[in-house]
Amino acid sequence: MENNNRLNAKDLINVGIYTAICAVICCAIAMTGVIPIMMVLLVVFVPIFTGIPYMMFLTKVKKFGMILILNALMGALMWVTGMSYYALIVGTISGLIAEFIYRAGNYKSKKLGVIAYAISGIYCWANYFGIFFNAEAYFSTRQNFGQEYIDAVTGMLPVWMCPVLLVADIVCGLIGGWIGSKVLKKHFEKAGIA
Amino acid sequence: MEYRLDRNVHSLLDPRTKLLLLFTSSVFVVGNAGEKQMIVFYWILVYLPVFLLFIEKEWKAGFVAIAVYIGSFYAQLALRHDLTALESALALMLYIITKILPTVILARYIVKTTKVSEFLAAMNRLHVTDKLTIPVSVIFRFFPTVVEEAKSINDAMRMRGIEMGAKKATEAVEYRMVPLIASCSIIGEELSAAAMTRGLDVGKKRSCIWNIRFGLFDFIIIALCLSCFIWWGIGRFFI
Repeated sequence: MENNNRLNAKDLINVGIYTAICAVICCAIAMTGVIPIMMVLLVVFVPIFTGIPYMMFLTKVKKFGMILILNALMGALMWVTGMSYYALIVGTISGLIAEFIYRAGNYKSKKLGVIAYAISGIYCWANYFGIFFNAEAYFSTRQNFGQEYIDAVTGMLPVWMCPVLLVADIVCGLIGGWIGSKVLKKHFEKAGIA
Repeated sequence: MEYRLDRNVHSLLDPRTKLLLLFTSSVFVVGNAGEKQMIVFYWILVYLPVFLLFIEKEWKAGFVAIAVYIGSFYAQLALRHDLTALESALALMLYIITKILPTVILARYIVKTTKVSEFLAAMNRLHVTDKLTIPVSVIFRFFPTVVEEAKSINDAMRMRGIEMGAKKATEAVEYRMVPLIASCSIIGEELSAAAMTRGLDVGKKRSCIWNIRFGLFDFIIIALCLSCFIWWGIGRFFI
């Protein structure tokens, strides 16, 4: 029995695969951050679009630790690709919380899955910490974006936007998770993959 | 005829050294830690990946990388002042290229020259748990696959007349995302079956056919990375 609860190679490979899919989608969306307004809207688009692979991933999760590893790896990838290390910290913590939420439904409940996705997705919001709390340092290395870009981004992101973005992130996470579970029902359950 | 396997034939650097180098590069080149004070190390770290590519005889990739880097570096220096919105978007893109390109090249070098079994064995020596190393090696194995699948699905959908920016945006996304995930999950099943036959699940210590040990170049690179961090630490806490 105890052997069944340990993560085996198959689970770990699944974690790797879905992390790669989510990371590619994140990357594709983050490219649009060149336009100032999109930079802010990343927090909306990333949770919505990664919802489908994530909900698919949750159908494969049957053991403790998988969500946590996926989130920690996503955070680490954010760090390596030049966001901030806040994503790693926040991602790990939110992954742990999501893990407990999803476990409460014995890794079966769809509703709890959507909530778990919304919570775990807040590493996306953590990427903005650099702008909120340390704006001067953040932009000192980015002087050559042109003052216009800097003004546009800082103008859109006063400190009170921080909780607003968190709420937006979670709401979009709920929407994304809901869309994800719809798509899952429509396509994958019929095909027998989920 | 006697067949002998040369257990020392592998790339110049040890997987552990490569990871340390990648970490250093992402802190100092992408993260731009230390700025002015680190300028010498910065340029070493920028050109080192290309040098490594040349050692592996990847001439074409190396020259393309240098050309793109130098081109975008000087272009973004030229685009410094009084920018219109469009120009500043361009400058931003060029800036991102100059920041990320060296590390991307390094990552490409690492993926190309490191065997998965070598990586797992090296991480095992460092006592990193399997729970992290297996997903990480799958991610690196999987990035090119995901991009390739996405490309061919994109082609197929274009043939059906379902394009990005068409009237039904939701349809365009759905018809791309769903086949992508379906095919990736099937590839994943195959991958786990392959891993199973290689005994990834046995739970005993795995042996590795390659000799993994540090050589001269490893010590040079490690010394370089450590001196980066030490010099940065000196600048940060003592001056």
